[in-house]
Amino acid sequence: MKFVANVDFSGGQLRPLAKSDVDSIIKLYQKQTLAGQSEAASKEHAERMIELSVQMAATQRGLMWAIEVEHGGEKIMLGMLSLYDWQPTSLKTLMRLDALPELTSENQIGALKSAIEFLAAKYHLRNFSFHCIPEGDEKIISVLEQTGFKQQARLRDFRRTSQTEFSDILVYNQILVPEPVGDAS
Amino acid sequence: MNWNLETEHYYVRFAHEEDIPNIYGLLSTKGVVKHVPKNPMVVEAQAMDEARRMVMQFEAKEAAFWLVEEKVSGKVIARLSLQKFNWMNASAQLQVEIFSEHNTQAILAELLYTVATLAFEDLSLHRLEWFLIDSNKRSVELAQAFGFNHDGQLMSYFEFEGEWIDYQVYSLLNTDESWQNAIKNQGLPKT
Repeated sequence: MKFVANVDFSGGQLRPLAKSDVDSIIKLYQKQTLAGQSEAASKEHAERMIELSVQMAATQRGLMWAIEVEHGGEKIMLGMLSLYDWQPTSLKTLMRLDALPELTSENQIGALKSAIEFLAAKYHLRNFSFHCIPEGDEKIISVLEQTGFKQQARLRDFRRTSQTEFSDILVYNQILVPEPVGDAS
Repeated sequence: MNWNLETEHYYVRFAHEEDIPNIYGLLSTKGVVKHVPKNPMVVEAQAMDEARRMVMQFEAKEAAFWLVEEKVSGKVIARLSLQKFNWMNASAQLQVEIFSEHNTQAILAELLYTVATLAFEDLSLHRLEWFLIDSNKRSVELAQAFGFNHDGQLMSYFEFEGEWIDYQVYSLLNTDESWQNAIKNQGLPKT
């Protein structure tokens, strides 16, 4: 049974993770601009993530897509778009976008917008959040703002980075408001 | 570690079997629960269920709940809790449910100082969060008076009676000047 749908966007596609994505995932997770990325990203970690992506989607706790784009005449995976802390009853989820430098902002915005449209239509989600680290990649902030996200909070020392050190988290949020029913007259 | 605490005027203690009427008396009062927000209890069986949940969450290391008993009268005036323990990131969420006539800065300063001391010193937490809704103006004033920082807001956090609830997020770090001053002064500001 397929738990993760393919979603097209201009210039590429969101698709389920596949076993052949291991090398791309390792590359993404060595970037260290998002929480959880680390130089120590390993093959076992990537394989576990692929397994987990199916389990998460099957139980509606989360979802992971590979972001695949046309690059140099072939389709390659240049990023991942994931949902965590998916709360179906509160119609909300936490999102995460891991992108290699080759994935353009235009593609990231396209992927995000298509994902949000898909999630709103299929699962009725309306509240989308992102957690960013202030010392992370500024490009992702620009992508979020261009996609309609707004910073709502800066949670001080929210994330532990070592035994004695902590880092802030920036909370970005986008809430879809249902379009008002039009007046027929 | 002793989870039962004591201040000058209050026992801040875990609940026991005889506390069901106390829990019901507190959580069936609209003024106590409206800012959580949640509906007041309507039958005492709900308090029994709540007491069970308090024990289960504590045993699972997810939360700790204290009833606040006034020493002079023996009356339970509040329930304090630390919820959503995040041991990885060393944080927890504070929640205060208190009869409105006791919701004063002097009383809260006394109670929160003892719970925050346990959180920062015994549990080695780094961050306490207090999620408050806009209409809870009294608690917002108190959070500010105690030196909590307004970190921002979490929009449409959950749905309650057909409305989407936004939370204002207040935080206190064990490294904050306001907390360091509280340690020096042996208490949070009472006025």
